[in-house]
Amino acid sequence: MSVRHLDKLQYRHRKNFHRAHQSHCSQLVAKKSKHALHALTSAALVLPGLLMSPNVQTAPGDRINFQYGRYEEGARNLYGVPTKYAPISVDVLHGNGIFSLTDRTKFSFAYTQDTWSGATPITTTPLGTDGGNRPLTINQVVVGASPLINSKVLLDHDLNPMGRDPLTKQSTGVVDPRSVLVMSAASPETRRQATFGLSYEWNEAAINVSGGFSREKDYKSSFGSIGGRMDFNQKMTTLKFNGSYTDSEIGAILDHDPAPYITKTAYQDQIIRKGGATGSDILRGSRSDWVANIGLTQVLTKNSLIDANISYTHSNGFLENPYKVMSVIFVNPADLNNSSGLITGDVRALIEQRPNIRNQIALNAKYIHHIDTFNAALHLGYRLSVDDWGVNTHTFDASWVQPLASDWTLTPRIRYYSQDSANFYRDYLLSKQTYQTKFYFDEQNRQIYVNRKNSEIEYVRDANLQLIDKDGNAVDEAIARPKITYYDDTLLPKSFSSDHRLAGFGALSGGFTLTKRLWKGVELETGFEYYTRASSMQIGGGNSSFADFDYYVANAAIKIDMERSDATGSPFAQSHQNHRAGTHEFHKIPPAGIMFGHMLPAKGDFMVGYRFMLGKTNGNMQHGTHAVIDQTIIDQGCSDTIPCRFTPTIMNMHMHMIDIMYAPTRWLNVMLMPTFMDMDMNLRKLANAPPAKPGTHDHQGVGGHETGAIGDTYLSGLIKLLDIAGHRAHISIGFSAPTGKVDIKQRRMHRIDSGLIHFGMQLGSGTWDFMPSLTYQGEKKQLSWGMQVGGTKRMEDKNKSGYRLGDIFQTSVWGGVDLVPWLTASVRGIYTWQGAIQRDFDSLSSRIGSMDFPQNYGGQFWDIGFGLNAAVPRGKFAGNRFGFEWMQPVSNDFNGFQLDRKGSLAATWSYHF
Amino acid sequence: MGCVNVAVWERGNLAKPSMDIDPNPLQSDFQAHNYSSREAAPSHKSSSGGGGCGCY
Repeated sequence: MSVRHLDKLQYRHRKNFHRAHQSHCSQLVAKKSKHALHALTSAALVLPGLLMSPNVQTAPGDRINFQYGRYEEGARNLYGVPTKYAPISVDVLHGNGIFSLTDRTKFSFAYTQDTWSGATPITTTPLGTDGGNRPLTINQVVVGASPLINSKVLLDHDLNPMGRDPLTKQSTGVVDPRSVLVMSAASPETRRQATFGLSYEWNEAAINVSGGFSREKDYKSSFGSIGGRMDFNQKMTTLKFNGSYTDSEIGAILDHDPAPYITKTAYQDQIIRKGGATGSDILRGSRSDWVANIGLTQVLTKNSLIDANISYTHSNGFLENPYKVMSVIFVNPADLNNSSGLITGDVRALIEQRPNIRNQIALNAKYIHHIDTFNAALHLGYRLSVDDWGVNTHTFDASWVQPLASDWTLTPRIRYYSQDSANFYRDYLLSKQTYQTKFYFDEQNRQIYVNRKNSEIEYVRDANLQLIDKDGNAVDEAIARPKITYYDDTLLPKSFSSDHRLAGFGALSGGFTLTKRLWKGVELETGFEYYTRASSMQIGGGNSSFADFDYYVANAAIKIDMERSDATGSPFAQSHQNHRAGTHEFHKIPPAGIMFGHMLPAKGDFMVGYRFMLGKTNGNMQHGTHAVIDQTIIDQGCSDTIPCRFTPTIMNMHMHMIDIMYAPTRWLNVMLMPTFMDMDMNLRKLANAPPAKPGTHDHQGVGGHETGAIGDTYLSGLIKLLDIAGHRAHISIGFSAPTGKVDIKQRRMHRIDSGLIHFGMQLGSGTWDFMPSLTYQGEKKQLSWGMQVGGTKRMEDKNKSGYRLGDIFQTSVWGGVDLVPWLTASVRGIYTWQGAIQRDFDSLSSRIGSMDFPQNYGGQFWDIGFGLNAAVPRGKFAGNRFGFEWMQPVSNDFNGFQLDRKGSLAATWSYHF
Repeated sequence: MGCVNVAVWERGNLAKPSMDIDPNPLQSDFQAHNYSSREAAPSHKSSSGGGGCGCY
């Protein structure tokens, strides 16, 4: 066993040893074998590591991880019909951390946000309908397809669909049993999830509680869980248990594009209208999920262990996917007796209906074996799940964890999955009845009305046409609607879904994880996986091959282990100890809103940080220095030929930034700052807005726009100019690389392309930018002060979408006072000038409001910043710094028409090794 | 549970990071989220809670 490895072990178990095993293990060793004890004394420091149980159960040490990932799906098979929709892609940002509050108590948190957009199946129909993915032809060339969910299909006398050419829609005259997914698309949407946990450890047990929430525009969940573990048998056996509860509220915004064509009668009582006539139908529901889990980990030999658990999930409530509809072919029963020719089926789209209870049981087993020859670990897993919907699944997976030289680890992995179809899954349904509107009348031939929220309550009109209930009391018109049906639901199955996730299929996936430990407890990790779904790979074979697809996911993470760096005996410990003793009466850092504002004091120093920035705009629209009314915006806000029709009500920008800083020499620091951006904007129609020109994006319905993904990446070299007692100055030569997208589109709607989304919702500048700055800082006793002058110069004429953002000049001056030695309060004055956007989008873009026109960007802005900086000088959290600054606008002079600025926030955390 | 006995000083291999039940939790969380939005099996990570529709 190498010394390096022993170090590693020692580090991993330092804490547990001190807390739990010192006396126990010493006695044990003494009893067991003097010989063994002798062998170990030569590596006395190593002892705690070896005396530990397998580390599988112990909570990891203090750490922070940041991860970015991307999921991208391949195109679906539309039988030769080209689609204009890009397949689904998802950008995921994740961060989590664990901190020790006391020796035995740990706090953990996790944050995830994912933004997705692209094409998704809305239903399945026979390939032979005259609708489906209807080809879109320009000058006799098929350029794409739009979803048509109500259509006609010809059937033979056994009700088999007759084929049609998918492109020309001409009947082929022969039976074609194939089905096809009908694709619809979505503009970007974002989900955010936060989880917090607390755990407490005893010597041979632990308990943890956690809770959190997930928020999407149409789906809100809250969850909590409690779990624990107990060790037995000298930690060779561990029993684990966990219970959790999730409560979800669904408020599905029924898409204003297909909504008029969807049959919603089964959910009438759950649908409310928001936003008036141009608003949206909201389908509301709620669900609860309970999960109980119990597991056992058992050491088998010195090289192997097994982990097994069983979990039970009970779900009830609204378990549907509210955006999936079922295609039902209605056939007039009279046509069945008509022996001549073909029958025309009337294809209608009904919101899917699933049972409102589901019980699932999963058995999970994992075997892990250490292969001495390769110093590698083989992981083999099998999982079986069964449920009362008939979905039984099998999962096999295997991975090989191979440590390599120079702190690299490579883990290839392979997985096979197979599931049976849910018993209510159908590609589509056939019903022998006519789809027709039917009103209801009572025995006196009065039309029957029902309560909008409960269709069991019926009303009629009296002789004066007043709406009355069954007791004769007058009823408000607003709560009633006519009783209406389109079909007899008793002739349809109670539950039905054509969601391909409930079909039978198999899937094979494979990928790898590669990790590299850098220095001072910093590790980089990257993962890749390719996944392919194939109906034919289902155990026993499947018949949903029309829904086959593939995807890949790639992700990269930086992992910071804060315990590692000060672990006594770790190879890094010494430099760190010296460092801390030497330089941690450290310099003050500037207010949190300042970028490139400080340098690391000594050669070899390393810093990792996280910066969050929020920019808020809302309230009134402004022109120059004054608020304006709607009519002015309509007349002047857009262009001479296009009047404005919409205006933003809010727009928020969030930026997440990782700061990585290193000092190769005392006078030079290098910095790398990847960013992740997300934006959201809500619009309203301007009062008295003129009607839309035909063929333009007409924003309808409630809700706005969201975007989110990787933003631009900043690189900088910082050069020290002056460093004398009380005075420091440096310049930063920075660049911004155009890694953020500038060609995000809104989706097609009402058969009209909406084009590129507003300039301010694009995620980067799209150009290489030069970002120089000069920073001076001084300090004396409790006082500190400083100034920074900087700017952004776009180095290209235009980005790939044809425009370029305005240049920026910014200067700020600040003063600070130490409230206590570790806490500094600051006030800062900021002046910013930014030019308007140059040129314009060179392809179709939305042109509905002032934010779509280049002249309405930039201006001159005066802000005042109030900040707090905290630095932990010693103890457990030494090296951590926190900063917070709120920047309040004082005066604005906007170029053109813009939404009012309401302030911005900067929050920073950094860790200095 | 006395069926096996691995002496405490023989547990060096078991203590290696590669022998963790989940050696790459960032990766497995990410994978589990993708699987649960594309497959009908209960989520691997469901016991730790977590929400979201995954309706895409």
